[in-house]
Amino acid sequence: MITLEDVSKRYPNGTYALRDIDLHIDAGEFVFLVGASGAGKSTLDRLLIREELPTTGRVVVDGEDVARLSRGKVPLLRRKVGVVFQDFKLLPTKTVYENVAFALIVTGHGGRVVREETDHALSLVGLLARRHHFPRELSGGEQQRTAIARALVMRPKVLVADEPTGNLDPVTTWEIIKLLVRVNELGTTVLVATHNAEIVNALRRRVVHLDHGRVIRDEREGLYAA
Amino acid sequence: MTRVAYVLAAAWHGFSRNPFMSGASTLTVALMLVLLAFFVVTDRGLQSAAALLESKVELTAYLADDAKVSKILDLKARIERDPAVARVDYVSKEDALERLKKLSASRADLGPIEDIGVNPLPASLEIKLAKAQESGRLADELRAEVGNGVIAKPEDVVDNPQVVDQLLTITRVLSIGGLAVLAMMLFVTLFVIVNTIRIAVHARRDEIEIMQLVGATDRLIAAPFVLEGMLVGIGGGAIALAVFLAAAGPVTASLIKFLDILPVSLGPNFLAQLAGGVLGFALLIGAGGASISIRSHLAK
Repeated sequence: MITLEDVSKRYPNGTYALRDIDLHIDAGEFVFLVGASGAGKSTLDRLLIREELPTTGRVVVDGEDVARLSRGKVPLLRRKVGVVFQDFKLLPTKTVYENVAFALIVTGHGGRVVREETDHALSLVGLLARRHHFPRELSGGEQQRTAIARALVMRPKVLVADEPTGNLDPVTTWEIIKLLVRVNELGTTVLVATHNAEIVNALRRRVVHLDHGRVIRDEREGLYAA
Repeated sequence: MTRVAYVLAAAWHGFSRNPFMSGASTLTVALMLVLLAFFVVTDRGLQSAAALLESKVELTAYLADDAKVSKILDLKARIERDPAVARVDYVSKEDALERLKKLSASRADLGPIEDIGVNPLPASLEIKLAKAQESGRLADELRAEVGNGVIAKPEDVVDNPQVVDQLLTITRVLSIGGLAVLAMMLFVTLFVIVNTIRIAVHARRDEIEIMQLVGATDRLIAAPFVLEGMLVGIGGGAIALAVFLAAAGPVTASLIKFLDILPVSLGPNFLAQLAGGVLGFALLIGAGGASISIRSHLAK
């Protein structure tokens, strides 16, 4: 599903965010991306949705070389790769329902498809009852669940979560992680970049450890630290 | 809500979100378009006055008294074949005298010329030009005919190079000046719309970011902003036309009074053309300015 071949990312000031990365993630996997701040986790996430281009190497998502995509095809890639951020990125003037439906509307869907798919995504994250609330009326966990519903409503093949629990308390963190595990069980490939050792150690899933832009460890049932 | 409904709603929301900014932009565009409309009217009036004056430019070739009719007719036919010539009239000695008598009757200072005896006035060819700028060339060609028995001496070919040159200069200045003023107004109007939409884009940058992340196309992201630019343009155009129509009567009247020595006409459908032009220009510049803003944001 995701392949990085000898990928490096160097910024114009000469700093390397990623160096010589070789990584393959199969469809249906659940992968933790761990490492200190500045290790390159977010850069790797951004490469997958073509917010950044690799300086060298190839990034392949669902069979397509991301760097070779024309500008017109980038939206199609992003419909296959849902993203969730630490700061939720919800629109404050839209309700929970509108925030989720927005993704469908602006990608050309309408009418019944919008209603049914939005309700389905909200029911998956357990927010159907809060559909008419605005983000300011929700807890942090509910806001993150709304963001996950917005990503899932497009039925993506991959869900990339960049520090999804960074702003949440421990109890809410577990709610969100359980939700991501459930999404994975339903068939979506999930990649979670996190600092949170407790959840990584508890789940014992595949762990890819980045340090100064290099992969220093890749374990099938790994722990946060070696 | 469908995609079309979203685009319409987002465009209106963007326009009405900051009424002061949208209103100020619309009024600035309106002011530019009012100036543009008055400028177009004035320019068209002056151009048509200049064209009228140009059409009055003529050459006169005085003919020798002993010139043979066949040679005169031959010269007249050759002149008429020249593409720069609109018309050639033969004025006989008798016609010339008749004109002088009519002129003296209306001018006391010339005195009576009833008992003039032998008619001293020469016959002539009066040449009206289709292209005033060819006046010099044609005069030189006629002077080259001196000695062939029709025109006696170079001074018998009378043109007025200074008047022609000045007229042509005025026409040229009006054309180039008109284009320069038009370009300046286009730039100012474009600048206002680009900045208005840039502010709207900035206000909705989070929404744009989310649209990009979920896979909306650039075209759909840009559509509400382009529509908003067109709203500013068409609003400005409508205000400008209202102001122009209210002020057009008195201004046109004074302009015609000012130029009443010249039968200047702006054309039968000029007002409809002007209204269509202003609104079309407003729409195009609104859409163009907005496209520049949103495309430059999306290209970052």
